[in-house]
Amino acid sequence: MSDILSRRTVMKGAGATLGAAAFAHAMAPLTEWSKDLTVDEFLQKHYKELTRDEMARILVHLKAEAKQKYGRDVDIKDLPPQEGVSFGYALNLSVCIGCRRCAEACHQENNHDRSTGNSYIRVLEMQQGSLDLEHGNANYDHPVPAEGKYYLPVQCHQCDNAPCVKVCPVQATWKEPDGIVVVDYNWCIGCRYCEAACPYHARRFNWTKPEIPPEELNPDQGYLSNRVRPQGVVEKCTFCLHRTRAGRLPACLEACPTGARVFGNLLDPKSPIRWVLENKRVFVLKEELGTRPRFFYFFDK
Amino acid sequence: MPVETPLDRWMRPALAAGLLALGGCGKDQPARFQPPPGAPTGGETLHQPAKLTSVESDQKDALGRPLRVSCESCHSLRETKPMPSRPEELKEFHQGLQFRHGELACTSCHQANQPRSLHLATGEPLPMTEALTLCAQCHGPQYRDFKAGAHGGMTGYWDLSRGDRTRNHCVSCHDPHSPKYAGGHPVMPPRHPAAQGGTDTKEARGHE
Amino acid sequence: MTATRHLLDYPRFLGRLLWMSTDGSWRFYTWMTVLTAIALVGANAWAHQLAEGMALTGMSDHVSWGLYIANFTFGVGLAAGAVMMVIPAYLYHDHEMHDVTLIGELLAIAAIAICLLFIVVDMGHPERAWHLLPGIGRFNWPVSMLTWDVVVLNGYLLINLHICGYLLYMRFLGRKPRKQWYLPFVFLSIFWAISIHSVTAFLYSGLGGRPFWNSALLAPRFIASAFITGPAFVIVLLQVIRRFTGLPIGEGPLRTLTSVMRVTVLLNLFMLGSELFTAFYTGGSHATAVRYLFFGSHGHHALVPWIWTAVALNITAAVLVHLPATRRHVGLLNLACALAFAGVWIEKGMGLIIPGFVPSTLHEVVEYVPTLTEWKITAGIWAFGLMVLTVAVKVALPVLSGQLAASHAAARH
Repeated sequence: MSDILSRRTVMKGAGATLGAAAFAHAMAPLTEWSKDLTVDEFLQKHYKELTRDEMARILVHLKAEAKQKYGRDVDIKDLPPQEGVSFGYALNLSVCIGCRRCAEACHQENNHDRSTGNSYIRVLEMQQGSLDLEHGNANYDHPVPAEGKYYLPVQCHQCDNAPCVKVCPVQATWKEPDGIVVVDYNWCIGCRYCEAACPYHARRFNWTKPEIPPEELNPDQGYLSNRVRPQGVVEKCTFCLHRTRAGRLPACLEACPTGARVFGNLLDPKSPIRWVLENKRVFVLKEELGTRPRFFYFFDK
Repeated sequence: MPVETPLDRWMRPALAAGLLALGGCGKDQPARFQPPPGAPTGGETLHQPAKLTSVESDQKDALGRPLRVSCESCHSLRETKPMPSRPEELKEFHQGLQFRHGELACTSCHQANQPRSLHLATGEPLPMTEALTLCAQCHGPQYRDFKAGAHGGMTGYWDLSRGDRTRNHCVSCHDPHSPKYAGGHPVMPPRHPAAQGGTDTKEARGHE
Repeated sequence: MTATRHLLDYPRFLGRLLWMSTDGSWRFYTWMTVLTAIALVGANAWAHQLAEGMALTGMSDHVSWGLYIANFTFGVGLAAGAVMMVIPAYLYHDHEMHDVTLIGELLAIAAIAICLLFIVVDMGHPERAWHLLPGIGRFNWPVSMLTWDVVVLNGYLLINLHICGYLLYMRFLGRKPRKQWYLPFVFLSIFWAISIHSVTAFLYSGLGGRPFWNSALLAPRFIASAFITGPAFVIVLLQVIRRFTGLPIGEGPLRTLTSVMRVTVLLNLFMLGSELFTAFYTGGSHATAVRYLFFGSHGHHALVPWIWTAVALNITAAVLVHLPATRRHVGLLNLACALAFAGVWIEKGMGLIIPGFVPSTLHEVVEYVPTLTEWKITAGIWAFGLMVLTVAVKVALPVLSGQLAASHAAARH
């Protein structure tokens, strides 16, 4: 009796050892993954809870990392929102010709992965006489503007009642006082609920680590915007806050060859954006969803 | 003030209560605002397109860029001839000009005896570099939008207290002799053309 | 005094049960070895996915959820459906059912384990899961429906662990369970089961930008389909247990569960029909997802075979459970259960999650096909769930059948 029992115990022990060894082997690819994960990064607090000193240390670390990976000096800033500034954007659909230069500028400015050709802006070729996106097409590849079409560039609308912010289970995305919806790349758990919630296809997920040739890297970077994102987190258009919070115009606006884009401070009565809102018949996309976008469209004629 | 939805009204006290219950209250630091934009110290400059003071030649410079020839190169040496009645009659550097600008005649804008200078509808002479005023005579709505910053595009700073911005001139984008914006082939072609049906379908591929 | 004793004895009791569960026939060892192997393949695929990125999946920014969330949704339904045995037992005093409710609760535990794993493998940064901890992380409750889901799923797991553990422990001690220690939890678990699946439906139906999901009927549909899969699984499971362990299980519970299924399969089909009527009669852009699902659109048809398979399975199952012959031939009943289970799995997975994303919010059509990595991980998690269920049932049975009791254990020492 005891012989059988002990034999059985030995067998179980052998089985358990074998199982554990097989498990360790199965999980071996994780050693590569865990090399990139430091204890500091793992324990890093939420953006809003970081003190100035902590942020300074993080920025130093990120710059050193970029130097090591790309062999270049990059400048990563954490620019705060400006008091008395609330950003708004408008786009003139009468003059947009669908050349996608805004999408290209976004791709370069925001250090997007080169192989996927990612961009925060998607330009839809629409049927004249229709606002039904069902008749739109983002994959046009013929000379523009085409007869009978107009072009609808779509990017983050920085909604005041943002569905993406509501659904995030860990508050990794929120609305800043100047109206920009940002993501803390070091807090996002990568569940992609925000991507499902956004009605404007404004969010992107880093399905793999973004790759950019060092010479193409944009060294003017923001902590909450265009620094090279980690794998497995969500990102989005921030109205180029590393530029706009320094007073500069967004990259997509500067790249627009037809001047279709108008950007500025909604709180400044003399700003071009205010003039557009007060003098043009503007509309927002999918207004019926109650998202209250800060991105407006208008037609001249 | 944006309109509140009933859900917001309901959610906000609930959220506050929830955060209090979870001890998450007061974690947020006060927002670190920058000072408000001050009085504009920067200025707006108007882009001066080269075509106002030079013409294209068929030559390229040492770096392979198209060589432009300043009006002065020729016209400082010889008298400008009077305005011809049709574009086909233009000679030398001005040959091959395509004219598609409504029903206008050359002399509608150019001075008949001094084609290098413009004139307003009143007949008042206007230097070439101030063409904007001329355009504004007919294109009022565009000029109004331009003045408001809503037409023509710009580069630089939205906040003039922190830097300058450069506005595009009418002629930066519109050829005065053929003003309709040309267009062209779009950049950033779709990355993964559809296997069947070509690129002009609703399909996109890959993880983008 | 006794409380402290139980504090020590209860873990010891659980340890003993776990140790005992490693004993078994060659059939048991083969079964567990096969499941372990599948689970390890899944674990390996997940490790690769974590290291190389979720580009290894078929998901994209257009279809940002896929097979994992589909299985998660189905798993929640299975967990909620398992409580279908508790309702007749406790609300309608069905005594035969009373004896086997524990099996349903164990199934709920295994199903919740599956759900939690499917969420973990869907995350880009699972190591940041601590951000979800209230107080330590930043738990966006009550605004985010996902936080509600975290609360209700983990709560459901704890409630069921408590009920099962307490009842087994009392049985082991040979004592009559004290009502105040389990009855409130049993009733809570009924309410809670409805809540887990409603909240899971609200995850989707609360999104205004996705017309396919944005339907008030989604939660009722989820509940109806949950009460198909739960009973279907338990009907087969009870027969397996009866066959392999000799635990006396009467025909009563099988009959009751079949009656439940007779109602829910029809209810589920009716609600599907209502959704289809609304979509197709109204037409327009809001119906494009349904059109794509059933007939394809813009030359894309990836989901068409899936959904028609699901419809065929569900209708066949509905016919089968109503055939008089099914009452006499248990084989037919089992077939009906298998068909209904598979039908709902498709309808609630590939047929519900994917069309929410196709066409995308900008009406682009990007199709989704799960990759081998996703299938491996999915199979691995299901295998792990079956391991949990097998061990749980094996742990419970000796106590239920009275083979293991404190009195015997004392005698052996």
